[in-house]
Amino acid sequence: MARYGMIIDETKCVGCFACRVACQNQNNLRENEAYNHLEEREYGTFPNYTREFLPVQCQHCDNPPCVSVCPTGASQKRKDGVVLVSEKDCIGCKYCIAACPYNVRIIKKEGYIEKCRFCIEFVEKGGKPACMTTCMTGVRIFGDLDDPNSEISRYIAKNRIRLKQFKMTLNTRPRIYYRKA
Amino acid sequence: MGALALSDQILDFKSWAKTNAEAPVTRVPTTCNGCGNRCAIFAYVKNGRLWRIEGNPEANGNQGLICPKGHGYIHDLYNPDRIRSPLKRVDGRFQPISWEQAYKEIAQKINLIIMDKGPQSIFWINYPQPNHAYALRLMHALGSPHYFTHGSTCYTARNAGWNYTVGKLPSNDLANSRYIMIIGRNPAGGIDLGQVADITKAKSKGAKLVVVDPRHSETAILADEWLAIKPGTDLALLLAMINVMVKEGLYDRDFVQKKTVGFQELEEQIINYPPEWAEKVCEIPAKTIMRITREMAALKPKVLLHRGYHGAFGCQYLNSFQTVRALAIANSLLGNINREGGIYFAQSAELGELQPKHPVPEGPKVPKADGTGIPGRYPLGSYGDGIAHAIPELALRGELKCGFVYHHNPLRTNPNPQRAIAGYKKLELLVAIDTVLSETASIAHYVLPESFYLEREEAVDTKHSGKRGQVSIQQKVVERMFDTRPGTQIIIELAQHLGVGRFFEFNLEEANELRLKPLGNSLAGLKQKGVLFVGKPWKEGFDKIDTPSGKVEIYSSTLEKLGFPPIPRWEEPLVSPDPKDPHSFRLLHGKQAFHTHAMTANQPYLMAISHRYDLIRLWMNRRRGELLGLKDGGLVQIKSLVGEGKIRVKLTEGIHPSCVWLPSGYGVFSKHLTTAYDLGLSYNDFLPTLFDPAVGHAMSSEIIVQVKKV
Repeated sequence: MARYGMIIDETKCVGCFACRVACQNQNNLRENEAYNHLEEREYGTFPNYTREFLPVQCQHCDNPPCVSVCPTGASQKRKDGVVLVSEKDCIGCKYCIAACPYNVRIIKKEGYIEKCRFCIEFVEKGGKPACMTTCMTGVRIFGDLDDPNSEISRYIAKNRIRLKQFKMTLNTRPRIYYRKA
Repeated sequence: MGALALSDQILDFKSWAKTNAEAPVTRVPTTCNGCGNRCAIFAYVKNGRLWRIEGNPEANGNQGLICPKGHGYIHDLYNPDRIRSPLKRVDGRFQPISWEQAYKEIAQKINLIIMDKGPQSIFWINYPQPNHAYALRLMHALGSPHYFTHGSTCYTARNAGWNYTVGKLPSNDLANSRYIMIIGRNPAGGIDLGQVADITKAKSKGAKLVVVDPRHSETAILADEWLAIKPGTDLALLLAMINVMVKEGLYDRDFVQKKTVGFQELEEQIINYPPEWAEKVCEIPAKTIMRITREMAALKPKVLLHRGYHGAFGCQYLNSFQTVRALAIANSLLGNINREGGIYFAQSAELGELQPKHPVPEGPKVPKADGTGIPGRYPLGSYGDGIAHAIPELALRGELKCGFVYHHNPLRTNPNPQRAIAGYKKLELLVAIDTVLSETASIAHYVLPESFYLEREEAVDTKHSGKRGQVSIQQKVVERMFDTRPGTQIIIELAQHLGVGRFFEFNLEEANELRLKPLGNSLAGLKQKGVLFVGKPWKEGFDKIDTPSGKVEIYSSTLEKLGFPPIPRWEEPLVSPDPKDPHSFRLLHGKQAFHTHAMTANQPYLMAISHRYDLIRLWMNRRRGELLGLKDGGLVQIKSLVGEGKIRVKLTEGIHPSCVWLPSGYGVFSKHLTTAYDLGLSYNDFLPTLFDPAVGHAMSSEIIVQVKKV
């Protein structure tokens, strides 16, 4: 059984939003429904200035607060690590939205909650997440954390000290690792 | 409300998607039309409806990638603002008309105009498409020299500078470079996917990236160093870099000796431009200029100063032509011309001709009325592109009477919209060929609806050529939704109705076969793959280039004969902001990564980004803003000689204090574009009609505006 995870290299994101729209198309989302979010941050004073974009999406936590608060079991953690919402079990109570520290869940017009699914249906057929394949600077690496020869495992082995998880102190244990500087 | 309800009905295919989850998916290779790069893509269709697109990994230009505009623009297929049939304007309102009737009426009017004023009073302007050769053929068949592109508002200064130095516009071998300096160009914002992918590759191999830009651009985010230059002074930086190379003997002596002319003259003049002088002009410390020049020279020839595009010297300043000349010379001194990791001449895909089977019309017998290529007028201007923003002037003077505007929107992309509107309205006949009612189409006498790019076949294209030649093709992915026709078919049918059908006795299929023939590729093979490599691979070095001397012309005797400086020398920008006036700024503009000009502003998926992240704002240096009593997000009025408008500001440390920066792609004023209408401003609203005295470009950054808190 694969155990999926993702690297996001913050140093490479230029904030173009290709990931947002690629994901919208892949998942048949409306223009205002997005699973990918970019947070811009600025540092320094002119001319010693820089800025960066932080791509944020569902972190597919190993200790997901959205799953524990869900009253119907619609939010679930799969064995391969992917956190999914079952559309037919979701009653749209929004507990998960309140519980998620990453603010990445949206309410669909139809009334249920959705979020990044790691394009799992696509991945199971041998594809890669749409946010990853469209990116011109290659911000993301997706793959099986249990396979020592996967690109992601090799990347983690090589860059371990540069990687951190988002809001680590919350003990959500995200499956997305961010590379800083 | 009507439009919204309709869009919902069309766009919401969740229920459709569910019932068709197992429906077979077809994949069609084609090319994107979301900007001018025409990236090669695979379009996926489920049950006749477009689903999504992916990049074609074999394409030189986009290397399997797609930008946000490409993903977003596919939805314009289902945009309710699309034109559904040919239209005729009657008493200020559009009425549907049949294709046959429209062609007949257009032909009748044109025949009268030709009898009255001659064929040269007809023009065609387009943002170049793969079929531009057929548009040119149509103008020549009619006997008019007046084929135009948007070039004078985009890139003609850059092209001219390179032409007069190395004979043509070269490419950048970014992937193999060890030190990349980019001035003004922002490939991560005005997206060039292949270039950004190549920069990423180079950086992963340890290359250094230096970005020179008054604004911290998207490309600057990737840079090791951002040099926040004072706008309009890039020429000073380049002259100082050349000065350091010459003075310290850092240049490639062998290359300079064997492959260039005029180094001695350069040596004599360049002493006037030491880094200490440049520091005062361009505000980059002399020490930095020296260090960067030495760093680059140490790694030569696998180093490059990016060939540039629109920003900084495409069409921006009075000194843009000399800036490109200096840039090309700086590259040459580094010995990187047609070298791996340097500046190189792309392999071209030499398409076949339609003749002798189909006769080619004779060239026009009269010169272009805009004066391109004519001594005493715009001798360095591009005859092929013409001067697009001269069209309104020529129309007002009565020299142009009738125009075809195809895949272009001069009323929004020309400077000085009031003047452009007056000029285009003066035309006795204006025919717009478009998919939506743009500003220009809105005032046309006839609108001929082109099929959306996913609904039509197009001419074979060579846009993707790079280290190897490449041909690509746009082909039909879904059935046509409305009574629209492909652009090439419209050109052919116009020719037939205008009495020059004898030059167009072919259809697109046959023309494509003929053009591919000498390359040894079949049309069927190309359609299957989307792109094909053709010709020989690129080779390093050169014997002779396309200049009068056959060498790199550091000194240009052609320029001397025409009365221009044969060696680049410092020229001030045409106008500069008043340093004593807190309201005085230079107005700069540039692309955001998720919009192409104003063309994609009407695309809901892309405009949603602008709204969600509050990105329709004017960038202003924080301290300058505070002096005006502004807070981030505060409203200002911008005013110039020709226009005024209101917009909110983004106060940031990421921009030079002497300028403000307006994202282009907004300021749509056609009420027919319901998503984009009346949002933001365009730099063109403030730009007077200017013509550079040598090239004729629009000098789009030579605007000083007054910015006041509202």
